[in-house]
Amino acid sequence: MRSTVLSRRSFAIAAVSLVAALGLAACGTQNPPSASSTGAGGTTDTGPTLSSGDVTLRVNWWGGDARVEGTNQAIEAFQAKYPNIHVTGEFSDWNGYWDKLATSVAGGNAPDVVQMDELYLASYAQRDTLYDLSKLSQVDTSQLDPSVVGLGKSNGTLNALPISTTGFGIVVNDDALAQLGLTLPDTDTWTWDDLSAFAKKISDASGGSAVGISPMSNGYSLRLWARQHGEELFTDGKVSISPEALAGYFQLAVDWTKSGAAASASHQAEVASVALDQSDIATGKQVLSFIQATQITAYSAAAGGAKFSLVPIPTDDANKAPYGYLKPGMYWAVSAKSEHPAEAALFVNFMINDLDAGRILGTERGIPSNPKVVDAISGSLSATEKVAVDFDAKVAEHIGDAPEITPNGASALDSTIARYLQEVTFEQLTPADASKAFIAEIQGSIDSAS
Amino acid sequence: MRNSRVRTRISSTTRHVFMILAVVVLLYPVLWMIVSSLRPDGHIFNNPSLVLNTFDVSNYTHGWNALGRPFGVYLLNSAIIVLGAVTGNLITCAMAAYAFARLRFRFQRPAFAAMLLTIMLPIHVVVVPQYVIFAHLHMVNSFWPLILPKFLATDAFFIFLMVQFLRGLPRELDEAARIDGAGHWRIFGQILLPLMMPALATTAIFTFLWTWNDFFSQLIYLTDPNLYTVPVALRSFIDAQGKSSYGSMFAMSVVSIVPLLLLFAFGQKYLIRGIATTGGK
Amino acid sequence: MSLAELQRATRRTPKVAAKANTRDNKAALQFLGPWIIGFFGLTLGPMLASLVLSFTDYNLLQNAKFVGLDNFAHMLTDTRLHQSIKVTFTYVLVGVPSQLLVALFLALVLDRGIRGLTFYRSAFYLPSLLGSSVAIAVLWRLVFGGQGLFNDILGWFGVSAATSWIADPSTALWTIILLHVWTFGSPMIIFLAGLRQIPREYYEAASCDGATIWRQFRHITLPLLTPIIFFNLVLAIIGSFQAFTQAFVVSNGTGGPTDSTLFYTLYLYQQGFGEFRMGYASALAWLLVIIVGALTAVNFWASKYWVHYDD
Repeated sequence: MRSTVLSRRSFAIAAVSLVAALGLAACGTQNPPSASSTGAGGTTDTGPTLSSGDVTLRVNWWGGDARVEGTNQAIEAFQAKYPNIHVTGEFSDWNGYWDKLATSVAGGNAPDVVQMDELYLASYAQRDTLYDLSKLSQVDTSQLDPSVVGLGKSNGTLNALPISTTGFGIVVNDDALAQLGLTLPDTDTWTWDDLSAFAKKISDASGGSAVGISPMSNGYSLRLWARQHGEELFTDGKVSISPEALAGYFQLAVDWTKSGAAASASHQAEVASVALDQSDIATGKQVLSFIQATQITAYSAAAGGAKFSLVPIPTDDANKAPYGYLKPGMYWAVSAKSEHPAEAALFVNFMINDLDAGRILGTERGIPSNPKVVDAISGSLSATEKVAVDFDAKVAEHIGDAPEITPNGASALDSTIARYLQEVTFEQLTPADASKAFIAEIQGSIDSAS
Repeated sequence: MRNSRVRTRISSTTRHVFMILAVVVLLYPVLWMIVSSLRPDGHIFNNPSLVLNTFDVSNYTHGWNALGRPFGVYLLNSAIIVLGAVTGNLITCAMAAYAFARLRFRFQRPAFAAMLLTIMLPIHVVVVPQYVIFAHLHMVNSFWPLILPKFLATDAFFIFLMVQFLRGLPRELDEAARIDGAGHWRIFGQILLPLMMPALATTAIFTFLWTWNDFFSQLIYLTDPNLYTVPVALRSFIDAQGKSSYGSMFAMSVVSIVPLLLLFAFGQKYLIRGIATTGGK
Repeated sequence: MSLAELQRATRRTPKVAAKANTRDNKAALQFLGPWIIGFFGLTLGPMLASLVLSFTDYNLLQNAKFVGLDNFAHMLTDTRLHQSIKVTFTYVLVGVPSQLLVALFLALVLDRGIRGLTFYRSAFYLPSLLGSSVAIAVLWRLVFGGQGLFNDILGWFGVSAATSWIADPSTALWTIILLHVWTFGSPMIIFLAGLRQIPREYYEAASCDGATIWRQFRHITLPLLTPIIFFNLVLAIIGSFQAFTQAFVVSNGTGGPTDSTLFYTLYLYQQGFGEFRMGYASALAWLLVIIVGALTAVNFWASKYWVHYDD
């Protein structure tokens, strides 16, 4: 008798817990978007309208001191222009940003406006967490080049608007080259072998105090490498680079590490995650480096104002079929669950299209994607910023179609590339094995995400 | 006679020398960090000596404001959370310990076993569901998820500690009070609690220590930089995107461990006694 | 009255027995109230939720999708998981005994009596106090870096080393193990307390019988210390399987280089919060519970062979 009471009660407790547990598992972001809680916003045929009452927006971004300062200033300008909108800014470092964004979205607590990166765009977009910007009339996309706008689309829907674009090249420490008495080969026609030989020459000439270069190690460079071999890294949301081409990418890193053109594997591992001013290129321990064009300003400043210039990466194709593209540095996106999508869109529009904002923000996030803004600030650009702008313009003359954005599930692309590069440079894996394992791993992540 | 005295003195001297050497080696990294925080950035690396030939406090002034808000904000946030956590643990763990140690009730043994099992539960197995719960209660981005669990006696380790301690207090005390007409709350509050001081002190100190250093939970729940706590703020110093300034980072690291050092200085007696008694049967 | 009748008459009826075991039900509810809410709401509930999640595909952004045993099947072929288990087991199997041995050794030295005992005890405890903080992990990363303090000190002894100990796969994990051993102060104090409880008479009697220090240690100290060694061992194993902050900070969140510092909890964190695979992360969390639980159970079972209880 007593035992049945016991078991009935414990069953009840277990059942309640289980139901609670299932409820938790079932609730992801189930709450339907509600009308704005303050003011009289609503939806019309042209999308959500601005409310007349006071609205508070939460905006999230990653970045360092300079970006925080600039963004806060831009926010103040925005608030001055739209007095009924109050903006709270939240910022963090790159690593913490994505952890927190994921958990805050999961908890139904996402900010209204988020800074987005190409690595994660598809992941967030295809999980219905970003607003379709084409439905928000407050954001004007007409001023941007259509191909640039296209880079904010995932499965045809415009989920984020690029803030900035950048090309990819090699930064050269001209002062160091001069000191070593070396001159660059013709960088408009050089091949990968030319670069390898020249980098080794630098290392030898410096007598051990500096190395020529360090291996490419990110999604941008891998995409360019694939395109140089007539392939694409991703096609239709799947990994489409061939193991042979990928093995060549890894082999280059191994060759450079062995020949001394690059530093030892363990040194590469150590400096992989240091701050800019501790990097080898900034401390004079490295003369050439692969960078995104807009980073030249930051690197030059970190190197204490040494003279830097930007040159294109080598290609083995004498015909120079166009392989380059302008990659968005980062985007602004609006959260799908935002209670004030219209105001959020207004903010995005301001940050990308407004000339005052452009003047405040400068090129801290990269060369602005809006050509009018670039024109407006061209007078106040520094020497290195002009170099970047000119470089991008040159790249723009020879671009092919933009590649696909990183598919849903492959957000660990950059860190996976870095890890496999370590495995090959530490000679724990051959480039051939590494490329097969890499493709399998990334494809596996994509498959399990959909 | 004289030989053995000399021998003991030599062996005692060697022992002292060995011990002092051990202390220096052990504490060298910490001492070096403190000394480096008083050196300008350029003089920190390749400078392993502990000799303080500069007393440059610029790292402190610079580091204090380096994260956009005075570091005092982070210290205050950590302090608030620690205060809440200590209060919560003291009250609810003692209450639970009284129930387990002094009361008889249905399901007591399974409940006690369950409580013990939660001590070894890795937090990762409850992190996401807990986050979702707090999000639905609109408590994310506040201190509540970090303080509320302490008011629900989730730190079973301290319940266990106090149960062990209570078992050492004779039941006659309870009986005598009950004969005088005292109810459970009187017995608990007026008789037993004062006698539990060592266990309470240990709980308070360890809660302080563990909460002050807790990185993971604070990272997840605090999204507003105004709410950042010390560990989370410290991590921003090593952000690869910004400029690095090791001097400032060391300075703020020193600042962040000062409360722990103070805690140690004043609570040493209880801390060590607390650790020692947990090892007991 | 027969014996049987007497027994029957004086036997506590189930009702009486039940009443004795439940007489404080109401009071218990009051005192245990917060714990009950906490246990069901914040522990058991979430545990069951995460158990359910481990059979799903949950990316934090959309509803969970039931996938049966897929997550567990994936564990069998997940080489990074195997690597993380290897790393964590190495850390536990090397770090825990090393730390306890150092703790025991220094406790013995201190127990022999030394002037300034309080000072030494405090000094040895200090690293333990600071060991789990972000500040120390950051410091450790710098100390063992290519330009770090450690290499400088090696230079004093004529060893010229410029390698970064934290960026070399063969040494990175050892720096973290060293950090763990560095925090021996806490178990040392427990050992000290245990040593204190051993009556001096035992030693005096033994040395009267001509026993050497080593024999005294083996036959008096060690057996009487086994309960405490056991306690430290159990706690250390449970704790070190959950090590996170140090690995996270020293490897900058990557578990590198080449996953040589990929601790289990770090991998779990990467899968859950890095790649949005909360279903798989929940499965990993439960695997951790099973591993730690099994090891603790083995520990308890084996204890009857070597732990010497006074009573």
